[in-house]
Amino acid sequence: MAIGMRVDGWLPGWLKRGVLSDHLILWLSVAYVLGMAPWATGFVSVSNAQTILAYLLPVLVVSVGLTLVLIIGGIDLSVTSIIALASVLGAKVMSGEDGWMAGNALAVPVGVLVMLAVGLGLGAVNGFTVAVCRIPAFIATLTTMMFVSGFAIWVTLSRKIGGLPAGFVMLGQNLWVATVMAVAVTWLAHGFLSRTLYGRWFYAVGQNARAALVSGVPVGRVTFWTYVASGGFAGLSAILFTAGLETGNPEMARDNLLDVVGAVVIGGTSLYGGRGRVLGTVFGVLFLALVDNSLNLVGLTFYTITMVKGGVILGAALLDTARTRILARTG
Amino acid sequence: MRNTWPGAGGSCLAESITRRSRLLAAVVGLGVLVVGGGCGRAPESTPEGGGKRLTIGVNFETLQTEYWVAGFEAIRSELKKRGIDVVDSIADGDSSRQLQQIRTFITRKVDGIIFVPKDARTCIPAIKAANEAGIPVVLFNRPAAETEGVRSVAIVADNRKLTRETVSFMVEQARQSGRKHKAMVVVGDLGDANAIGRRDGFYDAVKGNEEVVEVVSEVPSEWNQEKARSGVVNGLQAHPDISFIFTSSDFLFPAIVAALKSANKYHKVGTPGHVILGGFDGDATAYQMLEEGYLDATGVQDVYFEAEQSVQAVLDLLAGKEVPALILDPGFVIHQGNLHDLKDRMWGARVMGR
Repeated sequence: MAIGMRVDGWLPGWLKRGVLSDHLILWLSVAYVLGMAPWATGFVSVSNAQTILAYLLPVLVVSVGLTLVLIIGGIDLSVTSIIALASVLGAKVMSGEDGWMAGNALAVPVGVLVMLAVGLGLGAVNGFTVAVCRIPAFIATLTTMMFVSGFAIWVTLSRKIGGLPAGFVMLGQNLWVATVMAVAVTWLAHGFLSRTLYGRWFYAVGQNARAALVSGVPVGRVTFWTYVASGGFAGLSAILFTAGLETGNPEMARDNLLDVVGAVVIGGTSLYGGRGRVLGTVFGVLFLALVDNSLNLVGLTFYTITMVKGGVILGAALLDTARTRILARTG
Repeated sequence: MRNTWPGAGGSCLAESITRRSRLLAAVVGLGVLVVGGGCGRAPESTPEGGGKRLTIGVNFETLQTEYWVAGFEAIRSELKKRGIDVVDSIADGDSSRQLQQIRTFITRKVDGIIFVPKDARTCIPAIKAANEAGIPVVLFNRPAAETEGVRSVAIVADNRKLTRETVSFMVEQARQSGRKHKAMVVVGDLGDANAIGRRDGFYDAVKGNEEVVEVVSEVPSEWNQEKARSGVVNGLQAHPDISFIFTSSDFLFPAIVAALKSANKYHKVGTPGHVILGGFDGDATAYQMLEEGYLDATGVQDVYFEAEQSVQAVLDLLAGKEVPALILDPGFVIHQGNLHDLKDRMWGARVMGR
């Protein structure tokens, strides 16, 4: 309460409105771009926009899936390992070097379907263990992560798979195509959550699953399909990651889990469930990508970047906390 | 048709959009700020015009081991010695981040790029992007997979040859002991060409010497200390009579030494129960083990040679000279017999000295 009281007390009206806005992280992003532009050479440029987008899109897609899971009060630690397995299995189908369908005209569509199927299938496994077997989501998805990570390395013997067809690589490297795919699924998820009854069920389950059940919400089904969706988003993200790097990689996105969770939480989604928005996640992912990119452009050392990035994220989190407290106090 | 994006039209787009909401305007505004650079300021080039100073981008996949830190510092120092400006970044083991960082160098219009790829495959889009921008690319210590139309120069240790020489020295030590040794080899990430070269060099050296050295255990470390340690512990339990161990990188020695100590098999060279130990890299741990008499030999990568060659290759490419696609660092084997003479050339010894 202390932070909220202090901020509420001395902030000018326009700034207070900004802090209280649902789009706080977006305003921060705008302010960040304006503030960094004079210092980061090339930050405001076409080629840099391409760089940021190419990096941001696959992270955005998997983050949207995780947003759904967090809103129902769950967690999915397996998303990055799902990306890794989908990456290598899809690449094994399509690779022109020693792929299972090398040279076949249907290799790309089949490979893409395999990647999506891996995501949806493993999401269904997570959904089943959480919703039906009642295993805590943390444990269920942790074990999926461990098994799937190991399987991805075993199935490839740690080797990266290259020789992917141009038709597939285009999906990640042509920014028009990648952007349309990412925006389409993000928009769908946003519309689903904010404009449909089913979307309301997600929040109800996250706020109080027992109360939701009593009110007639099919909590089990909602939980199951949320994890399926999260797996599906991870599969789509795997397509963007793999096409962008032209490589099926059993370690793909291995180190991205904290970035993804960080972006979703910075975007205003609660780790305790019941609160969050897809649009907030979009802003969170954008904000982190801008910070990462600009600090590289400024030419800071690796160690400094890590420390500054941590500080900036902490600052954003503190602002969000202040906002939440002011809102709670003012009703 | 790679990386196509209609950046120049961003501001015009913003003008034509009806303001449905403040949010939409804000999103578009941000897009204009970032994407619409084509109508505004152009990215700056290097600071000086005319006889301008060169700027080279240096990107490392990781700084997690002493070898990479030493290489990173050696390249920066070599560039500064030649009056060249440096911009640098570290990918922290993430291929996607590395691609973004190389593109960031291109945005900054650096004159050349020296980088350590995460692996041989995932670096291809980054090299392609630099090729398309006309920026010369030199890969430090890790080559890219051969790909049509992708141009780069790699400076790498002759992993296979140097490992063969190191392990041949160890085999000779084994022969002089007058008995047969059971051997373990700790291999790296087999997606890494360096790891494959070192594994192959090991088998080159033991082949034909089976009467002296019999390989009974191959431990996959994936360049991970914990995996190396558990693998070595398991190997020693399955074969308690192992008395010959080669690791594909010195940075795994702490894990191996811990496993040997717990099996009560860590003894100095020339004392009863000594396990013949060899490695690759020449890091500070290996130097200390050599000084203390526990390590028989290690193959030393000449970091300073590789750094000097990397910088020279970029300058030669900028001058339009022919540069071979692969430049090999012959390295050298350091052991108890030549430690005094060669330690000044061992980068690990210099690190210890600092």
